[in-house]
Amino acid sequence: MGGVGESLRESAVINLTAATTMVVDDSAFGLDLTCQALRGFGIRTSYTCQSAAEAMEILADQPIDLLVVDCEMPSVDGYELVRWLRRSTKANAMAPVIMTAAHIRRSKIAEARDCGANFVVTKPFSAATLLERIVWVARDVRPFLEVGDYFGPDRRIRDEGPPSEERRATVIRKAAFDAEQAAQTAAKDNV
Amino acid sequence: MIDSPGGVSVGVALAQARANIESKRAEAMAIVDVQIAALESVVPPLSLDDQGFRLTEAYRAANAVIDAASPFELLDLCGAASGLCDLIDGAPADETFDWRIVTVHARSLRLLQTLPVEETEARSTVLDSLKMVADRKLPPRA
Repeated sequence: MGGVGESLRESAVINLTAATTMVVDDSAFGLDLTCQALRGFGIRTSYTCQSAAEAMEILADQPIDLLVVDCEMPSVDGYELVRWLRRSTKANAMAPVIMTAAHIRRSKIAEARDCGANFVVTKPFSAATLLERIVWVARDVRPFLEVGDYFGPDRRIRDEGPPSEERRATVIRKAAFDAEQAAQTAAKDNV
Repeated sequence: MIDSPGGVSVGVALAQARANIESKRAEAMAIVDVQIAALESVVPPLSLDDQGFRLTEAYRAANAVIDAASPFELLDLCGAASGLCDLIDGAPADETFDWRIVTVHARSLRLLQTLPVEETEARSTVLDSLKMVADRKLPPRA
């Protein structure tokens, strides 16, 4: 558990300081622990909520870059919160979501798969695993799909594996191409 | 965003996160103690109607043990608590739950909490006993 995941190199540099992050957990201690781990990664948690209702009020109109949410919560649980997020908000419908769970009930396994989260991490997990998932969602280029009741990232991840350096390179190439196109358009407009 | 200038190396980020989490160890151990006590004090249900509520109480306590113990890699405690969650979750709602399962898990968690780390054989024995309970009580996975 202590090692860095395969897709993370100890020497790789990450910058998450600008990420607007929300953590939702009904346990005050769980909330604190997650925030402590995130702080270590250079992420200052912008919003901490102890209930889904509290989170919904903020998520309705405040855009965020990352949501870390506990699955098991009284009243509205994490699955319902994520399903609501994907379906009911314009600001955050495509926001990256990592769900954490101490234990997933059998009756909730389908819900965990179908609610629209990017990743579900079951405990015990290490700081390395959490960071790895954050890097994955930051580099996640999976398209969002709407299929029946499902709205969320393409779940067919098994064939391609997690977001890798190669896929990151694709994103960088695309960004460079877009910038080049924009520059050409601007040059034409100036003529 | 993640690739913008500045930031920290993965190695430094992980070292910082682990140090931050480690500073919470004493608090976590106190929570584990409270949650095991909560599990020990769950009253056995008197009727089938009452059973769901009591099992939810026990499930929540076991869940909270995992929450507090997992960041510190206390895998024995997490395994025992997770086993109880599996057993409660897998129990048919219309059948009487064998409450000895909750009792034996609460006692085992207390034992695992108090046993010195180096008592690996005793720890394994406790976990093996709990696994036997799970194997007997849970339907085979599809």
